[in-house]
Amino acid sequence: MASHHLSHDDPAGYLAGYLDRLARGLPADAVDELADGLTETWRHHIDAGRDPAAAARAATAEFGTPETIIAAFVAHAPGRRIARALLVSGPALGACWGASLITAHAWTWPIPVPAAAGYAVTLLAVAAALLLAATGRRSLRRTRLGAIGGIGIVALDAAMLATTMLVAPVLVWPMAVAIPASLARITLTVRSLPAALAP
Amino acid sequence: MGNRENGDRPTKADAQALKGHLDVLLLAALEHGPRHGYAVKEALREGSGGRFDLPTGTVYPALHRLERDGLIAGTWSTVDGRRRRTYRLTAAGQRRLHADRGEWRAFAATITKLLEAGAWPATT
Repeated sequence: MASHHLSHDDPAGYLAGYLDRLARGLPADAVDELADGLTETWRHHIDAGRDPAAAARAATAEFGTPETIIAAFVAHAPGRRIARALLVSGPALGACWGASLITAHAWTWPIPVPAAAGYAVTLLAVAAALLLAATGRRSLRRTRLGAIGGIGIVALDAAMLATTMLVAPVLVWPMAVAIPASLARITLTVRSLPAALAP
Repeated sequence: MGNRENGDRPTKADAQALKGHLDVLLLAALEHGPRHGYAVKEALREGSGGRFDLPTGTVYPALHRLERDGLIAGTWSTVDGRRRRTYRLTAAGQRRLHADRGEWRAFAATITKLLEAGAWPATT
């Protein structure tokens, strides 16, 4: 990748090719930083007496494969952590709300069908975004879906809480668990979002 | 793990043992002044007599995580036409390093004591 200011001595674009592979999964700033370190490593090997081609091979071997490096960035990504936490906690909260809605006979509530359908579609989209963010290992950008999913979860929780407070004719006992659980999830998710949204 | 001339050969056990202590070692590498990623890795290698020679690429994700946690702060500069990110310890990083160092000393002293001959209570 020419923009990484590698030396013209880069043998047959060996290092540039390596950085191009990194750029497929990492943002430009991270690749620039790695390019600097890779060039330093390469020069170290040249200073140790290797020819440029051998030094390039030694430098990339010392760095590790691009896939390993990308996976290490992804493993630490806040978006991935949010996605995993929400996916792990999701079934329990879903069960709480399911029990609440069944016990409260939610199908009798005066909710327009398009609103209910919109909620269901959003829930599916959010779940898909979280799954993608939690399972990818090849792209740091993909983990940003965790932040989008987190925003979606906050919106869905808020909508469910508002609907329950405004529309439900009576509060039923499973809501004593579901409502605090949703409030806690909203709080924890909102606190985690800034890191996941940071560039 | 990579290996360099003049260094003791690192072992798989070293790599495994290092995993749980990488954060504090990275903080310690920045204690006496700012360094860029490659310099941090080299400081670890040289400071350990070549024993802890991490795959360089894996140092950067760890530095990014420490920065997100507010323990170190990075700034960009330009060197030889290349963009370089240099890290320094923050006040929170200093506190964490101090705390982790104290915990390590207590832990290591206990293990050392137990491994010394004669440290165990006599059997009854």
